[in-house]
Amino acid sequence: MTLSVGTVPQPTEDATHKRPKIVTNKQRVTWATLVLLVVIVAGVLWGLSIGSQHIPLSRVPGAIFRADQPDQMIIQSIRMPRVVLALCVGAALAVAGALMQAVAANPLAAPEIMGVNAGAAFVVVLAITVVPSLSGAPTILLSFGGAAAAGVSVMLLAGSGRGRVSPVRLALAGVTASSLLISLTQVLIIFDENSADSVLFWLVGGVNFAGWPDVRNLLPWMIVGLAGAFAMARPLNLLALGDDMARGLGQNIERTRLFGSALVIMLCGAAVSVAGPVAFIGLIVPHIMRRVVGSSYTVLLPLCALGGAVLVLYADIVSRYVKPPYEVPAGVITALIGAPIFVYLARRQKVTAS
Amino acid sequence: MTSTAIVAQRVRSTTLAQRHPRLLMGSLGVLAVLLSFYSLSVGATDVSMADVLKAIVGDTTDQAAQIVVQFQLPRVLLAWLVGIALAISGGVMQGVIRNPLAAPDVVGVTKGAGFAGMLLLLAIPGIPVAAVVPAAFVGGLVAAALVYLLAYRRGATPIRIALVGIAVSAAFEAGIRFLLVRNPLDVSAALIWLTGSLFGRSMSSVLEILPWVAVLVPLIIVWARKLDVLGLGDDLAAGLGEPVERTRRTLLLFAVALAAAAVAVSGTIGFIGLIAPHMARRVFGGRHLALLPAAGLFGVLLMLFADMLGRGIAPPLEIPAGLITAVVGGPYFLYLLVKTGR
Repeated sequence: MTLSVGTVPQPTEDATHKRPKIVTNKQRVTWATLVLLVVIVAGVLWGLSIGSQHIPLSRVPGAIFRADQPDQMIIQSIRMPRVVLALCVGAALAVAGALMQAVAANPLAAPEIMGVNAGAAFVVVLAITVVPSLSGAPTILLSFGGAAAAGVSVMLLAGSGRGRVSPVRLALAGVTASSLLISLTQVLIIFDENSADSVLFWLVGGVNFAGWPDVRNLLPWMIVGLAGAFAMARPLNLLALGDDMARGLGQNIERTRLFGSALVIMLCGAAVSVAGPVAFIGLIVPHIMRRVVGSSYTVLLPLCALGGAVLVLYADIVSRYVKPPYEVPAGVITALIGAPIFVYLARRQKVTAS
Repeated sequence: MTSTAIVAQRVRSTTLAQRHPRLLMGSLGVLAVLLSFYSLSVGATDVSMADVLKAIVGDTTDQAAQIVVQFQLPRVLLAWLVGIALAISGGVMQGVIRNPLAAPDVVGVTKGAGFAGMLLLLAIPGIPVAAVVPAAFVGGLVAAALVYLLAYRRGATPIRIALVGIAVSAAFEAGIRFLLVRNPLDVSAALIWLTGSLFGRSMSSVLEILPWVAVLVPLIIVWARKLDVLGLGDDLAAGLGEPVERTRRTLLLFAVALAAAAVAVSGTIGFIGLIAPHMARRVFGGRHLALLPAAGLFGVLLMLFADMLGRGIAPPLEIPAGLITAVVGGPYFLYLLVKTGR
C-alpha cells in the first residue's frame, strides 16, 4: 500500500521483528514544542486582555489568581473560560483528526470532512429542541451517539463494503453527508428560535459563549481522550506501515482501529457539544504538524494537541477584531484559513476509482 | 453518415417516454402548471383555489386575492425561472464536461456567484439590485475556472472535479459567512445567501432573472444537437465538423450565466442542477433536445415542491427552499457517488 503523506519508514530485513525505527529530528521536535508553548502563553495573555473592556496586559497575570476588582471579575468569569475552552477544543479536535487519518489510513479523513462534527451538532441541536432544559453530561453522551452514527454511515456509504476506501470517495461522501446534516440542523434551528447568533454558532462553532460549566463538561472527556490517544501512539505507528505489515508484527489491527475510532468519537463529540462544529481544525493541524515533526505518532499527537490549541486560541482572538463590539464565532476564521488548505489537499489526491 | 444519424444510433430509444416524448413532456408541463396554482394558495394565510383563480383573472378587490398577487405570484414565477435556469445549467454542464456529477453547485458556480453577489451588495450600499446578476456571473465564472484549473492534472476526472469543486465551494462559503458576520443582516437575508430561498422576493426579482432565462434557454435548446455531438467524444465531434473547444466554451459560459442569474435572485439553492437533469435522462434518455426541456420542467417541479413544502410544513415559519433541496439532494448525490464507483 502507499501513503501519500509523510514518510513511511522501510524496515530493514533484520529489524522486522523489532520495533520499527521512526526517524524524528529531536531538535526540531524540541524547538516546535517550545515555540508552540511560548505562542500559547502569549495568546492566553492577549486573549485575556482584549474584548469590549480592554484590560492592560500588566494587570492580566494578577487577575488570573485574584478576583477583587471588576477587571479581575471580567477575566475570571468571562475571558478565562473562553480562553481555556479554546485551548481544549483545539487540542481535542486536532488530535481527533490525527487519529482519524491514522485509523482510516486516509489523508483526507478528518472529523469535519467525515461528517462526525456535523452529526454531533445535529443530535445536540435536536436534543435541545426537544428538551430545552437539557445541558451538561446527557448532551455530551447524545453528541457521542450522533458523531458515531454519522462517521460509521459515511464509512459504509463510501466503501459500500468493497475493500479499501479511496480517500477521494470518502471525502465526497463525508462532505455531502455533512452538508445534509448541517441543512437538517438549520431546519431545526428555524423551528426553534430563529436567532442569527445561534444559527451561526451551530453552523460554524466557536467559544464566544463559553462559561466555566462548558469547560467542566469537556475536561474529563478530553483528558481521557488525549491520554488514550497518546497511549496508542505505538500501535498507530505500526498501523501506518500498512495492514499486512502491522498484522505480521503482532498487532491486532481491528482492535487498534476500534479503540482509535472510539477515541475520535469521544474527543469530537465532547468538543462539538460545547463549542459547535469548529471547522477544519482536525484536517489542517495534523497535516501542518506532520510537515514539521515527521509522521511518528509518539511526537505527532502531542504536538497536534498544542497546534490545535494555538489555532483555535488565535482564531478566537482574531474573531474579536472582526467587528469589535460584536462577538464573532471563531469557526468563521478557522473556515477561512482551512478551506484553501482543503483545496490544496483535495487537488493532491490521486484518483484511482473510475 | 450525417451527425444526426450517428447520434441517433448512439442514443437508442428504449423507454415508453422516449417513444412518446411529447405526450409525457406535455403531462409534465400540465402537472407543473397545476402545482403552481396549488402553490399560490399555500402559505401563512390559506387562500381557496377559487379566490386564486379570481385574483389571476383580475378581480383583485378581495384581500386574499391581493395576498396572492403581491406575495405568492412572484414566488411561483421565480420558482419557475430559477428551476429552469438551474436545471438547464446543470444539464448543459453534465453534457459538456461529460460528467454525471457535474452541476452548478458541484463545480463551485453557485457559491462563487453567491459570494460575488453578496460582496457587491455590501461593498456598495444602495447599488441597484439589477447589477448583482453581472457580479454573480463573474463570481461564478471565476469559481468554475478555478475548479477546472485546480482539478486539471493530465485530464480532469469527474470525481476529482467534484472533490475540488466541493473544496472551492467550502472556501467561498467561508467567505460568505465572513461577510455575514462582518455585516450583520437580518436572519432571513442571511439564510437567503447561505442556503437559498424565495422568501420575500417581489416582482422586481422576476424581472431581473427573466431576460437571462428568456434569451439563454432558447439559445441552448437550439444548440442541443451540438451537445449530442460533443457527447460522442472530441475526435468524433471534430470529425463531424464541430469546432469542439469553441462550442464547449460557449455552452459552458451560457450554463454559468444561467446559474449565476438564478443565484443572484434566490441565493445558493443546491442540488436542483444536479438532480433535475438526472431525472430527465432517466425518463427521456440522453438526447439533449428532449433532455434539456424535460430537465427544465423537472427543475420547476422540484423548486415548486421545495418552496411549497418550506412554506407549508409549519406556517408561519418559513423553511428556506434551499434547505429542502439540500435534504432531498444530499442522499441522491451519495447514491450517484456509490453508482459512479462501480
